[in-house]
Amino acid sequence: MSPPPEEFDRVKKLLALKRHEPPPPGYFNHFSDKIIARIEAEGLSAQISWWQRLFPDLDAKPVLACAYGLVIMGLLAIGVGVSQSLDTDETTAPNLGQPWFAQAPASDAVLPASMPVVQASLTGQTNPASSANPVISGAPSFLFDVNRLKYEVERVKGDLR
Amino acid sequence: MNANVLDKATAPSAGQAATAAPEDPKLVKQAQSGNLEAYDELIRRYQERIYATIYHMTSNHEDANDLAQETFIKAFQALKSFKGDSSFFTWVYRIAVNKTINFLKQRKNKTHMSLNDLDFNAEHDPDLVALVSDKTPRRDVSLIELQEKLNGAMQKLSEIHRLVVTLHDVQGLSHEDISKIMGCNTGTVRSRLFYARQQLQAYLSDYLK
Repeated sequence: MSPPPEEFDRVKKLLALKRHEPPPPGYFNHFSDKIIARIEAEGLSAQISWWQRLFPDLDAKPVLACAYGLVIMGLLAIGVGVSQSLDTDETTAPNLGQPWFAQAPASDAVLPASMPVVQASLTGQTNPASSANPVISGAPSFLFDVNRLKYEVERVKGDLR
Repeated sequence: MNANVLDKATAPSAGQAATAAPEDPKLVKQAQSGNLEAYDELIRRYQERIYATIYHMTSNHEDANDLAQETFIKAFQALKSFKGDSSFFTWVYRIAVNKTINFLKQRKNKTHMSLNDLDFNAEHDPDLVALVSDKTPRRDVSLIELQEKLNGAMQKLSEIHRLVVTLHDVQGLSHEDISKIMGCNTGTVRSRLFYARQQLQAYLSDYLK
C-alpha cells in the first residue's frame, strides 16, 4: 500500500529544510588547507616514491610498464650490438679508433737532422697499435719516450713557424 | 596556489545534482604523483558535498568536520589504488559513506545533535513557509523547531535509510549515482527511499497534515 503522492511531496519539501543548514560562515575557507597541512605533517605525501612521481601511470596501467621495460631492453640490446660491432671493426681495421698521437707520422714528415734518436725510434715502430694490440702494452716506448715527445713538440713548433 | 583558480561560483554546492567534473581524471593523476596542489583542488571541488552528506547523517557539525577531514586524508592515502573505474566523485563519496556508517555504528545510542543555524533563505522558501503556515496543525511551530524535529526523525532511521534520503532528497543525487556509491542496484535504492520516506512521514505526521 503506498501513501498518496502528495504526502511524500510534503516530506520532500520538509527535507529541503536541511539544505538551509550550512556550516558556520567561512568554514570552507581553510578547510582544504587544514587537510593538506595534515597530509604534510603526517608525511603521507613523502610515501610516494621517485619512480611513482616520474611515471604515475605505471601502477594504473601494467601494459605501460611492460612497454617501458621493452623499450629499455631494446635500447640495451642495441647498445651491446653497437659496441660489439665496433670491436669487430677495430680488429679488421687497426688504425680505426686510434688516438691521433698513436698514429705513425706521415712519410713525408721532415725530421730535423738534429734528432737522430727520434728517427731511430720511429723506424723501430713496426707494430701499429690497435684494440687487439693496445698502445700502452704494444708500444710503451712511444707513450713514455721522452725523445719522441720532444720530437712532437719540435714538429708543432716548426708547423707554427 | 593553483587551487585558487577554482571559481567558487562554479563549484557545485550541496543539494545540486552531482556530476563528475571532466578535469577530475587529470587532477587525480597529478595527485597520484604527489602533486598536493592538484589534490587541494579536488578537495575544494567536493568539500561542501562531502561535508553536507556527513553532516546530514550525523546531525552534528563537529563530527561532520572530523569525518570530512578524515575522508579526504584517507582518500589521499588510498589514491594509489584508485584505478579510475568509477569517477573520483563516486569513489570519495564511498569513502565518506563508509567512514560515517562505521562511526555511527560505534556511536550507537549516543546521539548528540549539534545543528548548524538555518540560513537566511530558509525563511523565504515558499515550501517551508507553507509548512509553517496556518494550514499546518502545529501553527505555533517555528522553522528552528521544525529543523530539530526533522533531524530527530532522521536520526531514528537506520543508517542505510538515512543515507539514501540524504543523498536523494537532500543532496539531489540520481538513483544511479546512489547505487554506485552504495554498491547496490537502483531498484534497491528506490525501495529503500520509499521505506525511508514512509518512516519519516510517520515520525513527522504532526507537521505534515
